[in-house]
Amino acid sequence: MVSPLIRLCSRRSLVRHPWQLGLTVLGVTLGVAMVVAVDLANRSAERAFALSREGISGRATHQILGGPRGLDENLYTRLRIELGLRQSAPVVEGYGRVNGETVQLVGVDPLAEAPFRGRLQAVTDLPVERLLTEAGTVLMSARTAGRLGIAVDGRFRFLAGGREYSLTLIGLIPEDRLRPAARDGVLITDIATAQETLHLTGRLSWVDLVLPPGAAGEVRLQHLRQWLPPGTEIVPAAARTHAMARMSTAFHINLSAMGLLALVVGMFLIFNSVSFSVVRRRQLLGTLRVLGLTRAELFRMILREAVLVGALGTVLGLLAGLALGQGLVHLVTRTINDLYYVLTVRQMLLGPAPFIKGALLGLGATVLSALGPAWEASRTAPRSGLQRSQLEQRSHAAAPRLAWLGIILISLALLGLWLSGEGLVPGFITLFLLIIGMTLVSPQLVALISRHGAARLRGRRHIQARLALRGVEASLSRTGVAVAALMLAVAATVGVGIMIASFRSTVALWLEATLRSDIYITVPGAAGAAARPELDPAILEQVRALPGVAAVASGRSLRVESREGLTEVFALDRPAAYPPRYPLKQGRPGTVWPRFQRGEGVLVSEALAFRRQLGPGDHVELRTDRGRRRFPIIGVYYDYGSGPGTVLMARRLYQRYWQDRGIDSLGVQLAQGAEREQVMDMIRKQVKSEQALVVRSAGDIRRDSLEIFDRTFTITRVLRLLAVGVAFIGILNALIALQLERARELGVLRALGLTPGQLRGLVLAQTGFMGALVGLLALPVGTVLALVLIHVINRRAFGWSMQTLLPAEIYLQSVVLAVAAALAAGLYPAWKMGRLRTAAALREE
Amino acid sequence: MRRRARLALFPALAAALLAASCFSPERAPEPASPESAAGLADLLGGEDSRGFARALAPRPFRFPRDHGAHPRYRSEWWYLTGNLETGGGRRFGYQLTLFRQGLRPGTPARASAWATRQIYMGHLALTDTRARRFHFFQRFARGAAGLAGARTEPLRIWLEDWSLESDDPERLWTLRAREPGGIALELELRPAKPVVLQGENGLSRKSAAPGNATYYYSLPRLRTRGRIRVGDEHFAVNGLSWLDREWGTSALAKDQAGWDWFALQLDDGTELMLYHLRRRQGGIDPFSAGTFILPDGRHRSLGARDFRIEILDYWDSPRGGRYPSGWRLRIHTLGLDLQVRPILRDQELDTIVRYWEGAVDVEGTRRGRPLGGRGYAELTGYAGG
Repeated sequence: MVSPLIRLCSRRSLVRHPWQLGLTVLGVTLGVAMVVAVDLANRSAERAFALSREGISGRATHQILGGPRGLDENLYTRLRIELGLRQSAPVVEGYGRVNGETVQLVGVDPLAEAPFRGRLQAVTDLPVERLLTEAGTVLMSARTAGRLGIAVDGRFRFLAGGREYSLTLIGLIPEDRLRPAARDGVLITDIATAQETLHLTGRLSWVDLVLPPGAAGEVRLQHLRQWLPPGTEIVPAAARTHAMARMSTAFHINLSAMGLLALVVGMFLIFNSVSFSVVRRRQLLGTLRVLGLTRAELFRMILREAVLVGALGTVLGLLAGLALGQGLVHLVTRTINDLYYVLTVRQMLLGPAPFIKGALLGLGATVLSALGPAWEASRTAPRSGLQRSQLEQRSHAAAPRLAWLGIILISLALLGLWLSGEGLVPGFITLFLLIIGMTLVSPQLVALISRHGAARLRGRRHIQARLALRGVEASLSRTGVAVAALMLAVAATVGVGIMIASFRSTVALWLEATLRSDIYITVPGAAGAAARPELDPAILEQVRALPGVAAVASGRSLRVESREGLTEVFALDRPAAYPPRYPLKQGRPGTVWPRFQRGEGVLVSEALAFRRQLGPGDHVELRTDRGRRRFPIIGVYYDYGSGPGTVLMARRLYQRYWQDRGIDSLGVQLAQGAEREQVMDMIRKQVKSEQALVVRSAGDIRRDSLEIFDRTFTITRVLRLLAVGVAFIGILNALIALQLERARELGVLRALGLTPGQLRGLVLAQTGFMGALVGLLALPVGTVLALVLIHVINRRAFGWSMQTLLPAEIYLQSVVLAVAAALAAGLYPAWKMGRLRTAAALREE
Repeated sequence: MRRRARLALFPALAAALLAASCFSPERAPEPASPESAAGLADLLGGEDSRGFARALAPRPFRFPRDHGAHPRYRSEWWYLTGNLETGGGRRFGYQLTLFRQGLRPGTPARASAWATRQIYMGHLALTDTRARRFHFFQRFARGAAGLAGARTEPLRIWLEDWSLESDDPERLWTLRAREPGGIALELELRPAKPVVLQGENGLSRKSAAPGNATYYYSLPRLRTRGRIRVGDEHFAVNGLSWLDREWGTSALAKDQAGWDWFALQLDDGTELMLYHLRRRQGGIDPFSAGTFILPDGRHRSLGARDFRIEILDYWDSPRGGRYPSGWRLRIHTLGLDLQVRPILRDQELDTIVRYWEGAVDVEGTRRGRPLGGRGYAELTGYAGG
């Protein structure tokens, strides 16, 4: 019976080399964990968004939207009475903070909720009477109540728009078994309480409608459109959700790409490990062939091992990915809150997809990686399997071919950059082609450099160094892959590092140039970008009257929603003496700003210009309170403050089309000689307002903005570290295997008279050389990566242009990282080799 | 009279609707329908009427003010029923009821126009004899933000686009009600008789307990003409309607199972209103009563002993329960012997509380002379089985 023998061989070899097994499993585990974690975080954020929207809009098919402050509440009454539109429900919605957490307050009319089951579905014993008759009564899910630490009948503080309210939890909304997260972080209340608490008396956020599908609905829709007053618009609920979700698409794609990068590194690792497990046993395999094992049997044996290891690693990877995902979800959610929209769902949403994907990738990558070595092993003639040199010969022969392939891929990638237009996904594809191409070239570079390096090192003094270099070249089958894997990881570090540094310096410079006022006043916001609470207009006059204040500017930011999607508008009122000075991408400041101040046109941010292909001379259409209007674009300005892009207009122009007196930020210009701290103090103490105010200097804003920036890239940094971790494990694995299997060779060297110390030095020199090689190769590759990230990926994803900054410390860090990683990986083999007993090592013969 | 029935009905409805209406697609879910008397009484027992005014003694009625709302009392309704006919003789019956319920006494001092303690419920029904169809609809709204309410100058009681209004209540009322995709009514109602104060000068006692009563008046004969739409068909119609108005803060007695109630407009210009309160243990409650109204508006009250109601036929509801479906009414003191038959057997409203309210035909004799008429009957407490 051959089969039990094979199993035994297989098992014993795995058991006898636990570190080998462990590292291989670890490689698979890390690769899978990365992909699963990123996928989980991404999907959780996306699903959380979709679910919370569903939870809010229920079964509504359409929504009627109004202007910056929503709709006049009478519109709803007229809709019910004049049009007899029964399948309609009013909603007043906004954000606030409870115990430090951002929550969404949704006010509904319980008596109009019947067609919109989603919101209050299955609420038995619903205390509608208390909701209607007692001010400040709310409902929430048990999960949310538990997290916020609020008991039923408990009172709690709700902060919104700088005001504080006392609310009472009077009942729990049962969890929706199918969508447990849909109501996470949502407070449901009567519409009267919502109006009072969100300072929206007389207003509705929107009106939900259920229109029949098909032609009947279309007729109704047309009728409604004609009936609705200007300044309102009816949009399909799904399209609205979609438009909001689309804002963060680029962000999610970027994240996925990071996950994929991790997988590519992980695959190298897997390939590395599996091929070593074959190479290491070449004698055993050759012997088995001599004993009569067929090629097919050998092939199957290797594959079976790979599947086993792959399965183990995959299972562990899935678990690790789950754990890692928890942390990532938090980071992703925070970034989305900072940049795009408020996400109150805090939990991770588990679906099978990320796990299936992770399992397929883990098993698939392992088996795929094992196919080559297994084929290799089964192809060798029984005796030649005993000869290591044959393998190396093949590797040497393969390296140039791989390099050529790499060069072809790089050329394809460069070609792709020209041809792929502005698509983000093609951008990523070319990026990956570039990365893989450069990785494929690296073994040949390793061979060339070590050969030429060794050739230069003539003479006795360099004998050890030469030995080290020649050793690297001679074992190209392993060193090549190891160097490529580490190079890839380090290059990614360099590339992403340069990109972040460039981005950050660009933003810092932009902030410096943009922040025109000395002091800024806002209301504590519920969340980052999505919700900017209004400022009491009385504050403006009070601030203007303070001594030391030369002029006051005001800003109003809003999101204009329409059928086509969502546009951010910023209405700016700057005193004539202090015109705005946003850096312009297109347009001459000398002509643009005076025209802007006169209200002759609007500016669009670079991101918006890029996304909609707009420039000076074009028009941008916006839904105003007076209906749809086209605004001429007079310039394009740099703006890194908003994800979706912004239309900037003078307050005077805004006032012409919007019946909105609201402001949400003030900028104070100090008079000559006025002390900033003093004036800030006066504002804090002397301005009377029922609202809490945030008074910050331009420097504070700069600091806060960069803090948000850094927060946004936390996730990138974490992923980058993980990629380096994966690569480190890879090189450790490779080096240990390499050094251990050279035991006999080193035994010979010992026998020839090398001291243990010299042997240790040899091993360390070799790994150190590989590390240096990695660093050397990673720098140009990383720089190319950075350039693609900055000028292709980021531009296509966000429409932001940045200056390129090539900080020396990033390069230095990377070389140090590479050498340190390699040296660290060489420590164990060096220690082990130092203790090598010559006789034992040679006995293998 | 009918008051007791309906007074009982409304808090029950209100309680049920608070629990369920908001979340059911169009109709009430089964479990929320507390059709058994026990269910009703339980729900009513939970209602807190503290802080609301009670009907303790007869009061002066002043019109048109009293046609409007009386929010100091917990419950109130405007109850219109009528029999209509096209020129071609096609018969219709209709019902429009607007209920007001105070959830708590007093008026809230709040900034939002949506804040209120009043909710309104409406039932709209149309019986179409030719098509043998019975249409019914139910809706709710808060008595705020212009969605529903009752005001007197000019008189207007409305629940969204169901409304009852009048510039001159002694002469002309207008009813408008429409349901998208269903039916629409636009009727002019002209009082042919003055207001009839029911019970003791408008104070209608339900039991010996003080305050367990309502204020109650009727407009028993309203000449009606107008237009009806059923689906895409339009009809010009004429006929007679009956308006009942009642308000108070009362609860249903625990031993009452339901009621059989009749409002009949007879061809000789008289009207008859009768009701039986059925007891849970069986038998008729001694508080059952009625009123007979003469052509000039003078009327006399009838006690439980003055009349006999005999069931001639039954109808099994496909939704469960068995209803009487044909009666013989005899009032010896008036020499009346009448047979009452529904113009359509299924006139059951499967609303938040299931009940039967339908148009009826009257045939019989008064002092030996043949007499016809039309009217409405209401049957509750049968659906639970």
